[in-house]
Amino acid sequence: MRRRPPASGSPAQSDDAQARRGRHISSIRVVRRPVAAAALIAGLLVAGIAAAGLSVASQTGKAAAPVRPPVNPTKLVPIPHGTYAAPPPAASRTVAEPVSLLIPAIGVRTRLVHLGITSGGTLQVPGTTAVAGWYTGSPRPGEPGGAVIAGHIDSRQAKGVFYLLRLLRPGERVFVRRADGTLAAFQITVVRSYPKTRFPTSAVYGPTPDAQIRLITCGGTFDWTTGHYLSNTIVYASLVS
Amino acid sequence: MAHLSTNTPAVDVYLYSFGNSNARIVLHHVAYGDVSPYEKVAAGEYTVAMRAAGAPGASKPVLSTSINVAPGGAYTVAGVGPEAGLRLQVLTDQLTTPKGKALVRVIQASMHQEKVTVRLNGTDLANEIAFSHVSSYTAVPPGLLSVHVTGPSESATRTVKLTPGSIHTLVVLDGASSLAVDDLIDAQGSKVVPNGGVRTGFGGTAARPGAALLPWGSAVAAGLLLAVGGALFASRRRRPALHAR
Repeated sequence: MRRRPPASGSPAQSDDAQARRGRHISSIRVVRRPVAAAALIAGLLVAGIAAAGLSVASQTGKAAAPVRPPVNPTKLVPIPHGTYAAPPPAASRTVAEPVSLLIPAIGVRTRLVHLGITSGGTLQVPGTTAVAGWYTGSPRPGEPGGAVIAGHIDSRQAKGVFYLLRLLRPGERVFVRRADGTLAAFQITVVRSYPKTRFPTSAVYGPTPDAQIRLITCGGTFDWTTGHYLSNTIVYASLVS
Repeated sequence: MAHLSTNTPAVDVYLYSFGNSNARIVLHHVAYGDVSPYEKVAAGEYTVAMRAAGAPGASKPVLSTSINVAPGGAYTVAGVGPEAGLRLQVLTDQLTTPKGKALVRVIQASMHQEKVTVRLNGTDLANEIAFSHVSSYTAVPPGLLSVHVTGPSESATRTVKLTPGSIHTLVVLDGASSLAVDDLIDAQGSKVVPNGGVRTGFGGTAARPGAALLPWGSAVAAGLLLAVGGALFASRRRRPALHAR
């Protein structure tokens, strides 16, 4: 016959059984209590460290690393055909306004809107993240000087026109079509990222003797408290003659 | 490259890397008053040679000079002086302006008017500057400005548009009938320089705070669970002993 174990605290329990149980409990307490205390301390530690990480992580968010389109992107945006205008002579300022931008290497084809300066004195940005814009205070692309073109890396939900800009490499080409139908071809010389607090103002907006272009977008870490990226990616290119 | 010698016929201009007999750049038929656009070259030592237009590339040059090109520098190599005393002068072109200003210099390339005075809206850019000389740069307020050149027997007036951040060279030349003034852009930048960085992103492709917080959040939860579990375990095992007493 199987003996039922007595229920805990049952009046039928014998003194002997109670004594045995008491001993048993005390032996458990000796072994288990340090384990429980260690679990408590370790748990609090882990929770504390994780909470600190949580507060740091809630302030910032690194952009996911993009990859270049897997297919040959030149099939998506072909190298444009047209008249490649020679650089204008030093004594004139004859190139037409830019109307569109093509970057076959990363599949960019966009019209160019006009950008000015905000009331705060910063560079205006395009009103939509799907197009890039030319800063009208900068030289026209193909004139002596650095023409400035800015575009968004992303919107609140999706990729922007310059999402892949940081993946461009020196030697790749950028094309600008102008209002008179002519094209200016630029070869990329430098691709760099700068914290916005150390933006290279004179390199971007300062005088240059030859025709150059600068493509600007955002990058680096996104600051969720201010709603802005902390860095700018800048692509420098020179007119191909 | 500039041809600023009024009585010298057209020339071909060659640019060689120092010690290399293959020309890096050749400009054909450069005539009086011609100024080529800038050519981009690697920093280093170069030789500039001038030959009569159409002369063989291997022939002895009429003139040559060496030029040390510094990284980020800009230079104008000008053939100046009368044909008899023609020389190549290397000018270092400035590439920065004081904030909101334009820079202007004068090259006096008129042989007919030996000395000229050049004024820009009343500011003296060059006073009695002699043939084949170059003034230093003067910082001026930008705008649509009037240039007035006076020599002993001729004068010329023209307007030039100087944008902030631009650097110009005014070349005084012997024109077909009288003095002429060429306005060359040495360099230009943005007219108004915006402040700081550019706000070109809204974070749609940045990691969401939720995504970044998930591992940290679950670690907090796991830690708390462990702590609570440990505490409960300790107290629950103690309770029957108290009851038994």
